[in-house]
Amino acid sequence: MQLVSSAKALLLKEFVDAFFLSFRYLLKPKATLNYPHEKNPQSPRYRGEHALRRYPNGEERCIACKLCEAICPAQAITIEAAPRGNDGTRRTTRYDIDMTKCIYCGFCQEACPVDAIVEGPNSEFATETREELFFDKQRLLDNGAVWEREIARNLAADAPYR
Amino acid sequence: MDLLIALLLIVVKSLALLVVGLVLIAYYILLDRKVWAAVQLRRGPNVVGPWGVLQSFADMFKFLFKEPIIPDGANKGVFLIAPFLTATLALAAWAVIPVNDGWAVANLNVGILYIFAISSLGVYGIIMGGWASNSKYPFLAALRSAAQMVSYEVSIGFVIITVLLCAGSLNLNDIVRAQDTRWGLLGWYWLPLFPMFVIFFVSALAETNRPPFDLVEAESELVAGFMVEYSASQYLLFMLGEYVAIVTMCSLITVLFFGGWLPPVNVAPFTLVPGVVWFVLKVTWFFFLFAMVKAFVPRYRYDQLMRLGWKVFLPLSLTAVVVVAGVLEFLGKVAQ
Amino acid sequence: MTKIIVDGAELDVPPEYTVLQACEAAGKEIPRFCYHERLSIAGNCRMCLVEVKGGPPKPMASCANSVRDLRPGPNGEPPVVLTNSPMVKKAREGVMEFLLINHPLDCPICDQGGECDLQDQALAYGRDRSRYAESKHAVDNKYIGPLVKTEMTRCIHCTRCVRFTAEICGTSDMGMIGRGEDSEITTYLQQAMTSELQGNVADLCPVGALLPKPQNFRARPWEYNKIPGVDVMDALGSAIRIDTRGREVMRILPRVNEAVNEEWISDKTRQVVDGLKTQRLDRPFVRENGKLRPATWQQAFAAVAAKVKAAAANKIGFIGGDLCAVEDLFAAKSLAEALGTRNIDARQDGARLDPALGRASYIFNPTVEGIDRADALLIVGSNPRWESPVLNARIRRRWRAGNFPIALIGEPFDLTYSYDYLGAGPEVLAKIANYQESGEGFGETLAKAERPLILVGQGALARDDGSAILALAAKLGAPKGDWTGLAVLHTAASRVGALDIGFVPGAGGLDAQAMAKAGAQDVVFLVGADEIAVEPGAFVVYIGSHGDRGAHRADVILPGAAYTEKSGTYVNTEGRVQMSDRAAFPPGEAREDWAIFRALSASLGKPLPFDSLAQLRGKLYASCPWLGAIDAIPATDAAGLASLPGGELGQGALVSAISDFYLTNPIARASRVMGECSALAKARRTAQAAE
Repeated sequence: MQLVSSAKALLLKEFVDAFFLSFRYLLKPKATLNYPHEKNPQSPRYRGEHALRRYPNGEERCIACKLCEAICPAQAITIEAAPRGNDGTRRTTRYDIDMTKCIYCGFCQEACPVDAIVEGPNSEFATETREELFFDKQRLLDNGAVWEREIARNLAADAPYR
Repeated sequence: MDLLIALLLIVVKSLALLVVGLVLIAYYILLDRKVWAAVQLRRGPNVVGPWGVLQSFADMFKFLFKEPIIPDGANKGVFLIAPFLTATLALAAWAVIPVNDGWAVANLNVGILYIFAISSLGVYGIIMGGWASNSKYPFLAALRSAAQMVSYEVSIGFVIITVLLCAGSLNLNDIVRAQDTRWGLLGWYWLPLFPMFVIFFVSALAETNRPPFDLVEAESELVAGFMVEYSASQYLLFMLGEYVAIVTMCSLITVLFFGGWLPPVNVAPFTLVPGVVWFVLKVTWFFFLFAMVKAFVPRYRYDQLMRLGWKVFLPLSLTAVVVVAGVLEFLGKVAQ
Repeated sequence: MTKIIVDGAELDVPPEYTVLQACEAAGKEIPRFCYHERLSIAGNCRMCLVEVKGGPPKPMASCANSVRDLRPGPNGEPPVVLTNSPMVKKAREGVMEFLLINHPLDCPICDQGGECDLQDQALAYGRDRSRYAESKHAVDNKYIGPLVKTEMTRCIHCTRCVRFTAEICGTSDMGMIGRGEDSEITTYLQQAMTSELQGNVADLCPVGALLPKPQNFRARPWEYNKIPGVDVMDALGSAIRIDTRGREVMRILPRVNEAVNEEWISDKTRQVVDGLKTQRLDRPFVRENGKLRPATWQQAFAAVAAKVKAAAANKIGFIGGDLCAVEDLFAAKSLAEALGTRNIDARQDGARLDPALGRASYIFNPTVEGIDRADALLIVGSNPRWESPVLNARIRRRWRAGNFPIALIGEPFDLTYSYDYLGAGPEVLAKIANYQESGEGFGETLAKAERPLILVGQGALARDDGSAILALAAKLGAPKGDWTGLAVLHTAASRVGALDIGFVPGAGGLDAQAMAKAGAQDVVFLVGADEIAVEPGAFVVYIGSHGDRGAHRADVILPGAAYTEKSGTYVNTEGRVQMSDRAAFPPGEAREDWAIFRALSASLGKPLPFDSLAQLRGKLYASCPWLGAIDAIPATDAAGLASLPGGELGQGALVSAISDFYLTNPIARASRVMGECSALAKARRTAQAAE
């Protein structure tokens, strides 16, 4: 036994085996994607960048119920509310998400009674400075405008399972 | 006048070797990364240029344009000299390597000794760099790195002696010519001296701080060992020196055990190919092996490394010297 | 006592208990919407259904049946009540489903969400889906005043608000019109409510139909830090809960304190919060060339020090304000003593109250709870409805219980209960006090009463003949057994505390009125005193929280903390010592008042002997030990009341000390909501006068 294993060691059997094993892997198709040009298929439940949605008539959905703020486990959401000047409806005067705190758990969109705050399909919102990740209401509404079609499609696709 | 022309010739030859060699190294680095990535089912660098072919140059420019940071308490002079020393010494070793029959910048009679001496000096760059950084991690890493290189040089030395015994010359050209038999690649020294080839290959890995013996640097987990405090061009020079040393080691394996520029089979289509092509192909193959080793071998512990060097390789190579000498004496083939 | 078995546990309860109270006594929680322990029983929400064994085979409304009405078992066993049987659960679920038929499920935009009884109970008894497919009933919102916002579709017709205004407020502002599905809660012709306690209907409302209007949509109940405090808007010292969000005081709610305010607070107490954010002094100011200029604390102290050092000790005066904590006044008094002046006074209105006459001469001796036991009431120069609305509600409750003759001397006013109007002048009081001579009228009623209550307002005391009036009232309210009837109703939260620590002129010292005279003083410190006009001449240093009258007159302003921004001791009109916690921080560079005096004393070269609030309280308790007994009324010797030194009675009608309930102090005057209420009340009075 000792002899066999010594011979194996001397003749680098394991080494050669490992070499051929890894060589087979070397020739295999790659597991990674060529990222900016190829992307993985995305679930409709994908939880990416947040967005505040509007109704088709342009009215913002958010009613300042603060349930998202209450449920947020990272306390990333800050809301201040007041009656809106022109019609006295309940609206947010401030809706901030600190994206550096956010853990993308999706509780906010689960809590939202009007589907106003959603996590859209976008995950490509890296910024150069930290400050740019403190999203304010305008930024979130703009996100909603940009991603509305995809968000609506995803919500519709996921609706039967809710 | 003749002296001037000879001098000019040497400069031109050196420059040609340097340019071709360094470009080659740029692609070896790419190859290294690509092979490593491929074994891990990744793609490797693929953004700069088609398939990432310009990646090494992009990296070079990045290093060149970065701000070199010299630590506050560093010994500035030594700190800056260390990477130059490493890179220069590594490049200097190329002077005697024959890429084709007689194609060497300097056809030294003691070529093998020269290389041995130069590569031994390489440890100074590391020690200087580690010490001059005035920081404990580089310092400790440099000590360990130096100990490791010194240890494996011993067995490398004995392995080379076995080859010298067979070839009967210290001239690298002569060593290659000695392997030129009608049996082609079966006549090269790797077959009779196979255990020596293995020891040499493993020692070369250790000598160049490559995985699985990169425990000072442990690039994937720790920081850069003795290079912790280095950045920008200084860091580039260290890395360059490292890769040049690896290629030197690959060339040495080619020259000592795999017949240098000789074609593997001594028949018509193979013999028509220029020797330099065979040489580069062989070096590339060994570099590929180096890269593969990096991809599939787990890292040694430091005590295992030392045990292997002193307790396995040293006795083995020492015994091999005696056995080879005895066999040669018995066969009456000792060179005069 | 009657025996009853609740969920298998037998217990003894008084027979007049309702079944609901009996179940509560057994530790069972009964859901309810319409039932409220301080209101009459309506029995119209049907949420409190329980099963009664041996009774009719249907659930019974536990709030509307008393224990003595339950039938015992055939062998005389105690009646059996089940609060958690399947029948009860099914019945309550049915009731909940009916309640939710017309209730909009708009919890996300409802301010009650999170503290809503209906929400909580729907969690326990609600179905997750509605079976009601028809369209819901919607009700127009009503205007019922500037303090309460309505969302009438949410109303579940519990009528708590109707009963509250009718029974507690005594204004009958609200009512229900229409029948069945069309019944709606409203005020008459949607006029504003007239009660000073109207804000409480928002607390009473179990759903989100009545909500505090100024806090509309601002915050959620779970966002608040809830800090217990003591109210300073009147001298009752109501227990309040200060709800803050971040650094901002968002709202003030009542805390239950049976001895003081039960669970009501006045509208001024509740809605003065916006006054805490406006007109604030957030940095020191120094007057230069007739204009106030922002300054650093050092500059302000230097300006004060220059004047104080130039002034003779008897030319320096301290006037204490109405909202100050005892600690603030104690620090001011300590500074006055260090400066060697005897000119200190907290009686801005000139009330003839003197601690030298004993504590009984200036507190509400019968205690607020004692009102429930009193059997006759004489109000002298006071309008309790404005001076302390919650106390007035207690008087009204005693009056509703019957057999409680009430008479008033002074200004006639709608006090929400009926009274005999005896006249306006002090001579009427003299006639009653000497009733043996007249032998009839209210004097006899008082003399026959075992526990007569003589409520004396500040309007009767802040007169030249105040001492004489006090002496007469004290004679009437002198101790009868364990009952002392003299009840001085203060209007300033700080007053009793100030008198306790002796914040009155020392021997030869000037009182507040005298200090304010031109040329009387070189330097006058106004410690939050805004109700007195210092005539030109003196150098005025104002220490306080709001830019009001005192700050306008000031030459140097040192910004202090409002009552929500400091921990302070307050002694209410009945002499009860109470302490409040700090709920927020003073704005900008403002500091707590005692700390200002400590810092000022250092720059005057006479450092006060305390460096922390705890040390200050140590000194305070050393000089006034009874102030250390928090939430207690110290025992008071009232023996001397029958023979207080009097004097000549003057002429002129007695008037209330308050002319506008909503604007009595700097914080209220800074509040927009209070201004709105004041304007509304004024318009209402003008309209009434025109009729």
